[in-house]
Amino acid sequence: MSVPVRAADGGAAPRAPVVARRGEGGPVSAVAAALRRPVRWPAYAGALVVIALLPIVLGTPYWRGILVVCAMNVLLAMSLNLVIGYTGQLSLGQSGFFAIGAYVTTVLLKSHGWNFWLAAAAAVLAAGVVGLLLAAFAARLRGHYLGIASLGFAVIVYQVLINWESVTKGVRGIYGIMPPPPVALPGLPEISFGNQAALFYLVAGLALLVYLVLDNLVRSPIGETLRAIREDEISAASLGVDSARWKAFSFGLSAAIAGMAGCFYPGFVGTLVPDAFNIVESFTMLAMVIVGGMGTMIGPVIGAVVLTFLPELLRGFGDLRLMVYGVALTLVVLFMPGGIVQAARALVARRAQGGPRA
Amino acid sequence: MTDLLLLFTQQTINGIYLGCLYVLVALGLTLIYGVMNQINFAHADFVTVGAFAAFFVATRWATKWLGLPDTTGYLLSIVAALGAGALLGLVVNAAVFAPLRNRGDELRPLIATIGVSVLLENGQLALFGPIPFQFDSPFAQHTIRLGRIFFSQQSVLVVIVAALAIGGLYAFMKFTFLGKALRAVSQDRETAGLMGINENFLIALTIVIASALAGMAGALLGPVIVLTPFAGASVIVKAFAIVIIGGFGNMEGTIIAGILVGIIEAFTVQYLGSGVIDLVVFVLLLVMLVVRPTGLIAERREENV
Repeated sequence: MSVPVRAADGGAAPRAPVVARRGEGGPVSAVAAALRRPVRWPAYAGALVVIALLPIVLGTPYWRGILVVCAMNVLLAMSLNLVIGYTGQLSLGQSGFFAIGAYVTTVLLKSHGWNFWLAAAAAVLAAGVVGLLLAAFAARLRGHYLGIASLGFAVIVYQVLINWESVTKGVRGIYGIMPPPPVALPGLPEISFGNQAALFYLVAGLALLVYLVLDNLVRSPIGETLRAIREDEISAASLGVDSARWKAFSFGLSAAIAGMAGCFYPGFVGTLVPDAFNIVESFTMLAMVIVGGMGTMIGPVIGAVVLTFLPELLRGFGDLRLMVYGVALTLVVLFMPGGIVQAARALVARRAQGGPRA
Repeated sequence: MTDLLLLFTQQTINGIYLGCLYVLVALGLTLIYGVMNQINFAHADFVTVGAFAAFFVATRWATKWLGLPDTTGYLLSIVAALGAGALLGLVVNAAVFAPLRNRGDELRPLIATIGVSVLLENGQLALFGPIPFQFDSPFAQHTIRLGRIFFSQQSVLVVIVAALAIGGLYAFMKFTFLGKALRAVSQDRETAGLMGINENFLIALTIVIASALAGMAGALLGPVIVLTPFAGASVIVKAFAIVIIGGFGNMEGTIIAGILVGIIEAFTVQYLGSGVIDLVVFVLLLVMLVVRPTGLIAERREENV
């Protein structure tokens, strides 16, 4: 009867479900088709300049730290948006994948002596595989049921982190985690990631890369297939979309991206405790997606930036700042139902029509 | 009685007591879901607000200022918490649920309730601070002995209050006209509206009832949990699990599932330790979702499964 999740760009004008065309069929050729599409290079060049300038403008270690957190949040919000915004599956378990990325990296690094980059790759893979497992639930459940099931998944991950003391050190946490090892590129001075600006460049660069991949993915036939599942799963199935398979694809990729954000978290903070992956974190990620505008590529990025910096800008309110944050979150949802992106688009459209109406 | 049987009985009784507390929290969630297909993430904080309201009534207002005996004070505080929850529900409905309801979207109200939750938690943090409050129930010290089985007066009180609340709610839903209208709205909002039922009033009523139950549960949970502004969160995840296990929107299922989870928790503490309770409950939830996604008592709600 109802499609529980409606995205900003799909809600306004009903669109016919578009299905991966037979001729192009298969993910490989779809990816190839996506790569052939024109990419919005000027926008990406602009983003690169902004990323390059940010740690210079916000030069104190404190603000650079916030920048690193912000880049991780952008990754997390984009990953969640793929599942919620483009595939229409309510997932409240994203903090679980973030946790898997962080813990697998750290445990392989500290207890098994792996190289950081290898450990990170393994962690991304592990998160992706667990995402595929969660997709088995998504194949059977819809709407709030899937939401609670994924919430249950996040709770289980959190509890495993607390209880599996021999591996995760439980609530005491793992200490003294080093940042990613320095990289020496030929002809350049060695890049040390103990420097937060360098770490920011690394994570933000990855986020930009992920944005580029996802931006092309969602405009490809794969993206159309995912949107078809979002809009009407039964119609999509009737047109030959194997929704279970594509949901698994979406969950797996989303989990891997969240896991990637998790890889850099422990080295940045230096310690790893289960409380960093409380289920509340999943809600925060969801809030970023919604506040920015789900189902758009730039929306979650804006949402992540706004919700990362908002609590910092509200420091003037002292103890009341998180209260103000809660009010702000509620007000955004009440008065900008499509998120910041849609509100901005509406504003631009109104301007184009000749000034604001009375 | 053999020792094993004794242990079994004792833990079952403990489980039922715990389960009654969970049912009171979970019933509100399931009521709101049943009538408006909406998850309320701020429900946990209604529990905390109820617990704090009860704390101040029981330990300050009733006993210190009015000079009532502490047992009367505690009973009064349960009523006060009920009122506090109802009032909060009224406000949150007017401010958040009502404006968002007719936009045909289920995600945004959910985020809005997260905002409300952040607001309530941090508002209470600003008022009461992060240090846990010591909320002792005067009934907890007295135990009743039945053969070789012990239980505190508090657990008896909880079971009685829960039974009264559940019984009252059940009677209201089954035998009053308003209850019938509520069930009609829950089955099909549009058709119920066409039959002349004022759905806005009934939805507000549902939220007030649900919040009142949460507040009351807070008064009863106060002496059990670590009373901080974030206390509700520890209960609410279990309440979500209970609601799903019982079948979203299904009252009978929720009651059975709540008691069941309480008993499982009691035995988990006995045999596996208290650290793994949430693990056991949520693994059970996921298994349940695979085996029987409609919940213990299946209802004709095809669209979610």
